[in-house]
Amino acid sequence: MCAMRLTGYADKFGVHPGDKIKFFVNCDGPSEYTAEVVQMINGDTNPRGPGFIEKSIKADVNRTYKGRKQVIHSGSYGFVQDCKQLRVESFTLQCWIWPTTPKTHPQYWKHGSQGLVSKWSDNKGYGLFINEDGALELRINEHRISTGQTIRDHAWHFVAATFDAATGDVVLYHEPQIVYALDPVIEPVKKKIKAKIQHSNIPAAIAAYVEKLDNGALARSSKPAGVVLGGKYNGKIDSPRICNRALNRTEIELMKLGAQPGLTERRNSGPTDALSEAIVAAWDFSDGISTRTAKDAGPYRLDAEIVNCPTRALTGYNWSGQNFDWKHAPKEYGAIHFHDDDVDDARWDADIEWTVPAKTKSRFYALKLTTAQGDEDYIPFWVVPKIGEEQSKIAVMVPTISYMAYANEHLACNAGGAELFVYRVPIMQQQNMFVSEHREYGGSIYDTHTDGSGICLSSRLRPILSMRPKYDHFLAQAPWQYPADLHLIYWLETMGYEYDVITDEDVTYEGLARLENYNVIITGSHPEHNTGTQLDALHNYTQRGGRLMYMGADAWYWVHTFHPAYDDQGRGVMTEMRRCESGIRTWRADPGEYYHQSNGELGGMWRFRGRYLHSVAGVGMSSEGFDISSYFTRTKDSLDPRVSWAFKGIDYDEKLGNFGLVGGGAAGLELDIVDTMLGSPPHTLAVATSAGRHTEAYLLVTEDFGFNQQGLDGTVHPRVRGDIAFHETPNGGGCFSFSSIAFCGSLPWNNCKNNISTLVKNVLDRFSKDGPLPAAPAGSVKYRGRADYEYASLDN
Amino acid sequence: MVAIPRMGTPEADALIKAHKECTDSMKGVAGFSVLKCEVPGDTTTVSGGVHEDPVLRRVLLRMRGASPKGKLVVICTKVDAEWRIGRLSGVRGVPPVFVNDKVYTDEQEIQHDIFVMRLQELPEEDLTAAQFNEGWKRRSDNWPAT
Repeated sequence: MCAMRLTGYADKFGVHPGDKIKFFVNCDGPSEYTAEVVQMINGDTNPRGPGFIEKSIKADVNRTYKGRKQVIHSGSYGFVQDCKQLRVESFTLQCWIWPTTPKTHPQYWKHGSQGLVSKWSDNKGYGLFINEDGALELRINEHRISTGQTIRDHAWHFVAATFDAATGDVVLYHEPQIVYALDPVIEPVKKKIKAKIQHSNIPAAIAAYVEKLDNGALARSSKPAGVVLGGKYNGKIDSPRICNRALNRTEIELMKLGAQPGLTERRNSGPTDALSEAIVAAWDFSDGISTRTAKDAGPYRLDAEIVNCPTRALTGYNWSGQNFDWKHAPKEYGAIHFHDDDVDDARWDADIEWTVPAKTKSRFYALKLTTAQGDEDYIPFWVVPKIGEEQSKIAVMVPTISYMAYANEHLACNAGGAELFVYRVPIMQQQNMFVSEHREYGGSIYDTHTDGSGICLSSRLRPILSMRPKYDHFLAQAPWQYPADLHLIYWLETMGYEYDVITDEDVTYEGLARLENYNVIITGSHPEHNTGTQLDALHNYTQRGGRLMYMGADAWYWVHTFHPAYDDQGRGVMTEMRRCESGIRTWRADPGEYYHQSNGELGGMWRFRGRYLHSVAGVGMSSEGFDISSYFTRTKDSLDPRVSWAFKGIDYDEKLGNFGLVGGGAAGLELDIVDTMLGSPPHTLAVATSAGRHTEAYLLVTEDFGFNQQGLDGTVHPRVRGDIAFHETPNGGGCFSFSSIAFCGSLPWNNCKNNISTLVKNVLDRFSKDGPLPAAPAGSVKYRGRADYEYASLDN
Repeated sequence: MVAIPRMGTPEADALIKAHKECTDSMKGVAGFSVLKCEVPGDTTTVSGGVHEDPVLRRVLLRMRGASPKGKLVVICTKVDAEWRIGRLSGVRGVPPVFVNDKVYTDEQEIQHDIFVMRLQELPEEDLTAAQFNEGWKRRSDNWPAT
């Protein structure tokens, strides 16, 4: 079942009034489709809520378009355009490999041979492969010479092949780095063939081979355009070399050194005088890790362009375990891990380009695509005012980095543990069904690649089908991320607030300037993934008197960096995140692979970079559970005159949010708590809590304990709760944190007439006023500890 | 490891009854748990189910931790209106398939039917030495851990 025949994406998330935005559309089947710009109000179709709401926007692009199919050529590889030097008569090919799927299931989506180093297509040329049986294979024109021995997965092997055109001698080497006691000896395979290499006008490829040259429309989105690569390899490759003669085994060993530009006595490219004359290319993947180039250190500078952003900054065959940061030992990080489902850019042709009228309101928008046959898709985007041209005093900071992190996730389909953490049978939507078959749309940073390795990079230049209205996420059985944030938008619209929208991306690049003209910044329901400059901006904003309303939970959690190699295509195109030593991890980075390829920063949780989650808005994640939600109860802190204004119209004993469109209550999914030892300011007031009423599906986060044991669930553990919290910041600023991802799902309940709505309105009204917040009562100014808060621990 | 009671036994009947009561009470909730809402469709007060029935809890844990290969899943075929039961392939890139033609118009009822189907399908015993195979020796996404 693949119902989605319409899919699309835009060239940017946020667009300024007066600027252009492009849309790329795949219409697979129908002859035409209609596009219409709409304002998004509510994306939740739950019959207990207000229902789906969009508003039609008059736009000159609203019309019918001719449909055309566009496809994504996923899978990463490197290529070098055809040149004289690559047209060898004899050769030696060699490299180190760490294959992850040498042999695949016959039903596997890309079952078949995998290219390692090749200039081969259609039985012409030469190349080193892993064949369909998982064995090393040399191809020379139509000839195939194999070791016949399946290569061990997840292990380093040195592989090489030589061909001497004069004698016809072929030698194929497969040398495992580790040989176990009962491994058979893999002798070099020696053959004699009669062949003259037939060369054709195709690129040389690393981790793939040229499947075909194609002038058709669907091949335009391949790179190079019109050259369709096949045999996408899964696994690491390190130190590939091409030489123009058949080297003997000793020479091959020396050639492992590659070109040696560092030798002061050098008179050539090395590694020896004689071998320097044989080098065609000697790539050094450790050079240019933050780029889209695989540098050739050899004499011809045959740098390979790297396509679809494979993972770099990974340990090579020679990693010693002494250095864990690739910047400190680059030569031990000469591996690239290629994946057959990597995607950096769908590279589709643009179908629609809209110049956003200068007076357009800053809001959530989407390009709505429909066909007469009932197909439908929405491409969300946001109109963001230019700095200095803000339209209101309130800004919603859209967590676009988090949308990218969750883009096209496959957990419901692939993860054995998924049902254990959602505590019910996962529910797959049509978007999940589509991506389960169309792996070329790429996965999320929660997924593992098709080869089982973690996905740490996510592009926005592809259809992100999880960022859609009318989409219930399997985690929540309700809206999550984008459609969940529309609950907040519906509430703002219904309550009559004027507001702007800005994105994580904007704040990352523009810093405090993006925030400081607003009286209050409102977050989304789950801004989990953040860049350092975004956190800097938020800190500086609240320090200078800005007000922050943190509308959800599990925020400020993971370190993200944008990949600079894609800056030429716009801001924030590719985000990177590594799941390091702790945190809620659906996969775990391997040792030595914690530092980002994009800029060398240490990845993982901000907490383990010394930036505690709780320092941003006063609370931090403590637990998660995905079955059902509960509600909050006021604490005595809520009576403090510093904050009692927030509860105007709410009785002390009221159940806060025992209703809602996410889990049935305001306290649910993921929950934050106050912890003055983890960054909550000591004067933080915990004004309401959901303590003691979560189910056993809710579990303490792994970073909060060092020893797994019973008693970590919501029925017994004291830290499995959400705390609604408030604290003042200097210069009349403040933070109000609602500490639950499900929280915003209660706002629309009963047409926004409910106590959660009242609470948020009280806070927003106060926070959005001009000038500093009223000063706290004089008696509340006192010096407070962190561990010995109010000296309670000493009293106990 | 906990045994899954065989269909037709009093133990299985009791599990089915308890699960059904919880399921019915969850109708209308934008979420689901095998717990009983005191007021149907309202999670303010929940009890019973996995919190009070250790056998039901253990059986569900075993069902939920099964390998994705052949695992039953819910597929929404009309947003917030229709659902069907599917089965995961366990092979990446191969989508789930429908197991039958039954269309559900309630997203909770399907949870119960899948529970009953699993009682029928899953072996009474699993992960004992008798079931040992080569797959036990390696980590995999198909194991019930992330």
